[in-house]
Amino acid sequence: MTHIVSESCIRCKYTDCVDVCPVDCFREGPNMLVIDPDECIDCAVCIPECPVNAIYAEEDVPADQMKFIALNIELSSAAGWKSITKRKPALPDADEWKDKTGKLAELVR
Amino acid sequence: MNLMDAQINRQVIATAAQHDGPIETDAVIVGAGPVGLFQVFELGLLEIKAHVIDSLAYPGGQCIELYPDKPIYDIPAVPVCTGKELTDSLLKQIQPFGATFHFGQEVSTVERQQDGRFYVETSRGTRFLTKTIFIAAGVGAFQPKLLRVEGLSRFDDTQLFYRVRNPADFAGKNIVVVGGGDSALDWALNFVNDGPNKAESVILIHRRDGFKAAPASVAKMKALCDSYEMQFIVGQITGYDEKDRRLVGVKVTGADGITRVVPLDLLLVFFGLSPKLGPIAEWGLDIERKQLRVDTEKFSTNTPGIFAVGDINTYPGKKKLILSGFHECALAAFGAAPIIFPDKKIHLQYTTTSPKLHKVLGVESPVFD
Repeated sequence: MTHIVSESCIRCKYTDCVDVCPVDCFREGPNMLVIDPDECIDCAVCIPECPVNAIYAEEDVPADQMKFIALNIELSSAAGWKSITKRKPALPDADEWKDKTGKLAELVR
Repeated sequence: MNLMDAQINRQVIATAAQHDGPIETDAVIVGAGPVGLFQVFELGLLEIKAHVIDSLAYPGGQCIELYPDKPIYDIPAVPVCTGKELTDSLLKQIQPFGATFHFGQEVSTVERQQDGRFYVETSRGTRFLTKTIFIAAGVGAFQPKLLRVEGLSRFDDTQLFYRVRNPADFAGKNIVVVGGGDSALDWALNFVNDGPNKAESVILIHRRDGFKAAPASVAKMKALCDSYEMQFIVGQITGYDEKDRRLVGVKVTGADGITRVVPLDLLLVFFGLSPKLGPIAEWGLDIERKQLRVDTEKFSTNTPGIFAVGDINTYPGKKKLILSGFHECALAAFGAAPIIFPDKKIHLQYTTTSPKLHKVLGVESPVFD
């Protein structure tokens, strides 16, 4: 069991979640965050922090976001995806992208 | 805290060695977090003595490991306290019951015996025969986070270490310490300082020039660097060099993108701790998404005699709150009493009025006119 960052994070990366994580399990890519499933302890503190509701408990992931379960596993150990433990400014055009759906094609690995 | 680690561990080994046979007891508590500590209290009121096992070298569990200084506001009748204060208060509260603590070890084996008791063995070889087990293991045993470099794990426990068991092993060696927290700084400074464990050389590597460690330790480290007694490098370990099957250096990629080789004898990594469920999953207990399923009458698992309390358990409506864990401890203790004292009638007593409880608590019974 773990928590999952879903599509809503892509091209936004608000990073409010990382400040509250007690185990530093967020990993940062160019335009998205993911959760390292080996580190997450399911405390759920990050869920309400995300301004775009991108984070779900694994068993609550909506049907159209299921592929993000595997993506979080893969990207959390991908080359160049590094631990992020302090909040930083969101991507400059985050507010334009925050309500968009179907953003998976925008993901930069 | 971590400098004490090695010393406590040696004491634990010595204690274990003194026992030829397993320690015979009524109750073993797995986990010394707030709920495990309060389980000592609830068992104590029923005159049940307990042994407590924890993977950390100190009590407190998540309260100490994840938020020692953060205020907690939802402990009943305690408007605010930190994780450290809560732990200290619980230790004071359970002091009359004389529980025995076995720190720095995880429970590896749990097996039911012919006579109905459980055989329990830890990673340090401490063995118990117990009538009951209380699993208060929270989110799992805290384990060091690993340095992930392909192939490097071959040197685990020979040249790559995540904890210092015996500081003397590092004396006179060329040491590379990795990390930016208190453990990394404390050990780096310890091995630079004059004394029996002084290293030949100490190089500290951290991914950025900012530290989680106490500012005083960071200042000391920088002063030692300025006087050429140690060295600090900003960078990440991305590879290693070996010669004749021995680790001889690590490749450190700096912020400038340049990779340099840093020679060494021993590599010490302190990336913090992360909880892992570990062998609990293999004890044949009913487990659901890393949590042990219990009833809400006794907080018993599907194995009679094994109870689960606190964050580790699950039941309809479960909320992972310390206060829920405390409640679970009380009912689990009453659930366990008939197993430990089959012939004794157990009565609910109040600490306000019961002379019997005053006796076990070691307090005077108040006299009212």
